[in-house]
Amino acid sequence: MNTAALDPITAELVSSALIYASEEMGIAVRDAAYSPNIKERLDHSCALFDARGRLVAQAEHIPVHLGSLPWGLRRCVAWLAERGRTIAPGEMIVVNDPYLSGTHLNDVTVIRAIYHGGRLVGYAANKAHHTDVGGAVPGSMPPDARDLFAEGAVYTPTILVRGDAVVDDTVDLLRANSRTPEARAGDLRAQIAGNNVGERRFLELIERYGIGVVEASLDKALADGERRTRAALRELPDGVVEHEDVMEDERGEPSIVLRVRLEKRGDTLALDYTGTAEQRAMPLNAVYGVTLSGVYYAVRAVTDPRIPMNDGSFAPITVHVPEGTLLNPRRPAPVSAGNVETSMRNADLVLGALAKLAPGRVPAQSGGSMNNVMIGGLDGAGRSWAFYETNGCGMGARPHADGIDGIHVHMTNTLNTPIEAIERQMPMLITAYEFDETSAGDGTFRGGSGLVRAFALREGTATASLLAERHAVRPRGADGGGDGASGAHVMVRRGGAVSDLPAKTSVAMEPGDAIIVRTAGGGGYGDPAKRDPAARERDRADGIGTAE
Amino acid sequence: MSWRVGIDIGGTFTDLVALADDGRLIRHKVSSTPRAPEDGLLDALRALLDEVAANEIALVAHASTIATNALLGQVHLELPRVAFVTTEGFRDVLEIGRQNRSAIYDLNVTRPKPLAKREDRLVVRERRTHEGGVIVELDRASVDRAVATIRERGITAVAVGLLHADADGEHERVVAEALREAVPDVEVSLSSEIDPQYREYERFSTTVVNAALAPIVQAYLERVARGVRAAGVQAPIFVMRSDGGMAALKSASKRPATLIESGPASGVIGAAYVGRALGIENVLSFDMGGTTAKAGTIFGGVPEISASFEAAGSTHSGRSVKGSGYPVRFPFVDLAEVSAGGGTIAWVDAAGALRVGPLSAGADPGPACYGHGDRPTVTDANVVLRRLNPRALLDGDFPIDAQRSRDAVASVAAPVGGDVERAAAGVAALVDAEMAKVLRIVSVERGHDPRDFTLLAFGGGGPLHACAVAADIGVTRVVVPPLPGVFSAYGLLAADVRVTSVRSIVAPADAETWSRARKLFDALAREGDAALGEQGVAKADRSFVRELDLRYVGQSTELVVTAPRSLEEAVEAFHRRHEQRYGFAALRDAVEIVTARVVAIGTTPKPRLAAAPAPARRAPEARALRERRDVYDGAAFTETPVYGRAQLRPGDAFDGPAVIEQYDATTYVAPSWSARIDGFGNLVMEHSR
Repeated sequence: MNTAALDPITAELVSSALIYASEEMGIAVRDAAYSPNIKERLDHSCALFDARGRLVAQAEHIPVHLGSLPWGLRRCVAWLAERGRTIAPGEMIVVNDPYLSGTHLNDVTVIRAIYHGGRLVGYAANKAHHTDVGGAVPGSMPPDARDLFAEGAVYTPTILVRGDAVVDDTVDLLRANSRTPEARAGDLRAQIAGNNVGERRFLELIERYGIGVVEASLDKALADGERRTRAALRELPDGVVEHEDVMEDERGEPSIVLRVRLEKRGDTLALDYTGTAEQRAMPLNAVYGVTLSGVYYAVRAVTDPRIPMNDGSFAPITVHVPEGTLLNPRRPAPVSAGNVETSMRNADLVLGALAKLAPGRVPAQSGGSMNNVMIGGLDGAGRSWAFYETNGCGMGARPHADGIDGIHVHMTNTLNTPIEAIERQMPMLITAYEFDETSAGDGTFRGGSGLVRAFALREGTATASLLAERHAVRPRGADGGGDGASGAHVMVRRGGAVSDLPAKTSVAMEPGDAIIVRTAGGGGYGDPAKRDPAARERDRADGIGTAE
Repeated sequence: MSWRVGIDIGGTFTDLVALADDGRLIRHKVSSTPRAPEDGLLDALRALLDEVAANEIALVAHASTIATNALLGQVHLELPRVAFVTTEGFRDVLEIGRQNRSAIYDLNVTRPKPLAKREDRLVVRERRTHEGGVIVELDRASVDRAVATIRERGITAVAVGLLHADADGEHERVVAEALREAVPDVEVSLSSEIDPQYREYERFSTTVVNAALAPIVQAYLERVARGVRAAGVQAPIFVMRSDGGMAALKSASKRPATLIESGPASGVIGAAYVGRALGIENVLSFDMGGTTAKAGTIFGGVPEISASFEAAGSTHSGRSVKGSGYPVRFPFVDLAEVSAGGGTIAWVDAAGALRVGPLSAGADPGPACYGHGDRPTVTDANVVLRRLNPRALLDGDFPIDAQRSRDAVASVAAPVGGDVERAAAGVAALVDAEMAKVLRIVSVERGHDPRDFTLLAFGGGGPLHACAVAADIGVTRVVVPPLPGVFSAYGLLAADVRVTSVRSIVAPADAETWSRARKLFDALAREGDAALGEQGVAKADRSFVRELDLRYVGQSTELVVTAPRSLEEAVEAFHRRHEQRYGFAALRDAVEIVTARVVAIGTTPKPRLAAAPAPARRAPEARALRERRDVYDGAAFTETPVYGRAQLRPGDAFDGPAVIEQYDATTYVAPSWSARIDGFGNLVMEHSR
């Protein structure tokens, strides 16, 4: 069936039903999951693809999964094909190899192929962050990893479901390589349930409208996505801009340069990352899929967020990243923080370039880090435990509004874990959770305040791994606005001794020790002298100051 | 003769339904008066008093949107300045919320304004463990400082939320005492009383919402009571809560956070009641009004209740968007809602595709055919399709301009080659698909098969779209009650008094925890019993439902098990629920008990639904046939009979396509559906495959 003969209303019904189906997959994963990381923090994403592996629908979950999920799906299918394999009817594969599936080892991807009458018609896939997949430290993101193998067990595409039954051997293998084995099986079951929902909805549509109509509708949805992105790009001025930003190395020095050359012509956008730092023997390397996610996020946010997410809407954008660089590393460079930290900096980088191209549309820089905290060890009774969370920061001020205090920005949107839940389940005490009162960048519109969150160990022994950015370089203000304050890590030992900790570190904790995490504030926008006096008075009364 | 009166205040109309012991029914529809909602209520009551003596009224039941409107920032309902007292070190928990943003790609995203400003969030020095143990004793000096600040600022609406106060509320009570001693007219909400469950943000939010609403809701309910009494009605006044239970006026005043979803709940309660009368256990309620469509589930005769919701938040495809509103952890009749109503606007997007919603023309300017606006709405599409009467609505009381509908729809017809009828059909199909999504959310996503359900359609637009949405999700039977347009007011007469008492447990499902749970059940039942007594419920009418929330160890959300008689029974029922809802049960995994809950129910007298002698199927009388007009049947315009609902008698039966008009709604019987009037006067439509 060609698209010309297609009823446009039917096409709309089909594509909107698939978007809905991808959302329903997300609900199914969340509902059935075990670990709070998926269930409460919603650190997962779901998508549907056509038979050629083109993304046709993705639920709005975590932006960092945005470009990496379609990139990863195609690579996994190709990897299997090279070995003469496919995903058969009734099968699902599980994979976490970042160089195939697109993010880092914690993100475990489960893929189902969808068949109709014996013919491949599409794929359902989802990716969820598993709290622990082995490796050197609890949480599987060791800040000092020198290669991928220190970050946990690597699973190339492996059969997880065969004949619609779970392959216990595979689940056992994943369990055996995790510090929190109980939740692994539950979370995998949830991911399987999610794909089953996606397949069911896809097949229902085919049964209702016929495969010809569904395929034509998908073609049309992809064409519409592309048309809308092109229309949005045409509204930006043409031009070539170059921009760079930095990340902080093992010693905390802002030595790692990310560089992009962005060329906007008519309805196309080309990004070239030549000049970006070489890959390093540390976990900041971001696989290509993660780099794509940052680009898609930034373009989508600056143009039109209502454009449906599918391969068509990405088509007018080309991204060149030289191999062997931080943003397109070669195996086996470690990558755990590429997903969480480098992705944030890449978003800053692309947004910064877009700000040069089209001033007045892009906010000042936000806190620029997911402020990862992983703590785990043995409790007083000798049971092992692991905790992982990311922490919000100050949002950069917008051209016409203040930034938001203490919130997740750009590439992530996961929820915090309730203090009363943490203290029930882990031998920890959270001793502070407040805004950092002197962190916001001043401006006509001020940046958001960073957060202060403190973690004390109550019993047993533990290792804390911290992974953050913007400790040395402050989030920049825009258009005359002040910079946000940098973040900081502080250790307060039981006896009262206080010491600074690096931005990226692992440290042993004894009962009574506490770690204070301060996250960076957002940059301000516009001349501080022009700030509305009433807004300044409001902040004064609220005790919210600005960064020095 | 004794009459029971239900009054539902909606955005446009205030509806009253009065029901006599003998089954006689009176309805009134008056304009709502948003600035002083009680005026509309009293207008409706006075209209009733023209026909019924004041001393014949035995009960006044009321559903109010005042709490929602106040949270949504409606003018004339300004929220008071609220102080929040919390544990030192955690001043911003209330504002940080869950640290997420409600729209991921929107660089201009906003966070809901905290109901207590940072300036008015005051801290006291204290700290407990989750087991209630004291790590830091409550520092009286810090309490005195907070109390002094509140007094100086003249704040009288105060919420107190301390960490782990669900385990032990003693520190909160000390703060409350100090406040009551020092601050005249202070109204204090304690988190340990309002919502004694763990997860601090949700508990604090619920408590602060309660404190913020208290002055507005209390003053409003007092005005209602005064007005009702002044009209000579001495009957007890009850208010519908979000969980579909009623509360006596005084109890409702103390817990205004329980009234937020008052109006929508009553429709579902009515649907459950009608379902039971008809012997239908599984009902999907489908309520389509001017701006939104709402779907709820009644399974096994019981409306499905959810433990929390986000007040004044936004929705996406019928699901609540996390972080867009104020979490309120109080049970509510679990509705999915979508911006799809008669006033929902159709438009063409940048890629040239026809779209519907979420913008609505509301009551002003309203659909184009009303003569004010010119943007095409769902109502205009129905006028073009001639499913709605092209000359007038409201049984002829409200003339419309069908040409304006055509012109408006023509403005979005480009995607279908300028064909106005095709565009109108497209608008109807798109809005039907949106509404089918919310019905899927409340059925399929909860592990129910829609084919096991009957759709009960009401609201002004529900009966018009019912066949289409039912067919979409595989439902084969639709019931349209006699007065679909005032059905929520009717539902008020079917509600019981409810009191929910709850405590967190969070411990392994073993013998020790079970014995703890049983003791808690007794204590919670005593609480509920006393509360029912205060509301005038006779001993004989009181009953108690015990519930446990369980989960697998490691999970962080729970499933409810009702009335367990033993630990084994509770655990078994949990595995079954998990299997039904999520498709698997992990029989070997450890289970824990998270929450104990007792719902105390005070049974009220219900409307007696008397079935007329069931007559044989017969054709409608000739006088019931108003006209035959060409109506779009999904493929073409065909000559279609149009019946007057009032002239249809029990036993009347006919096949679709057909249109049935009545004052408060129009029903469209689609082709391949048949319709009949049952002994209760319901219109029952069945899909004949």
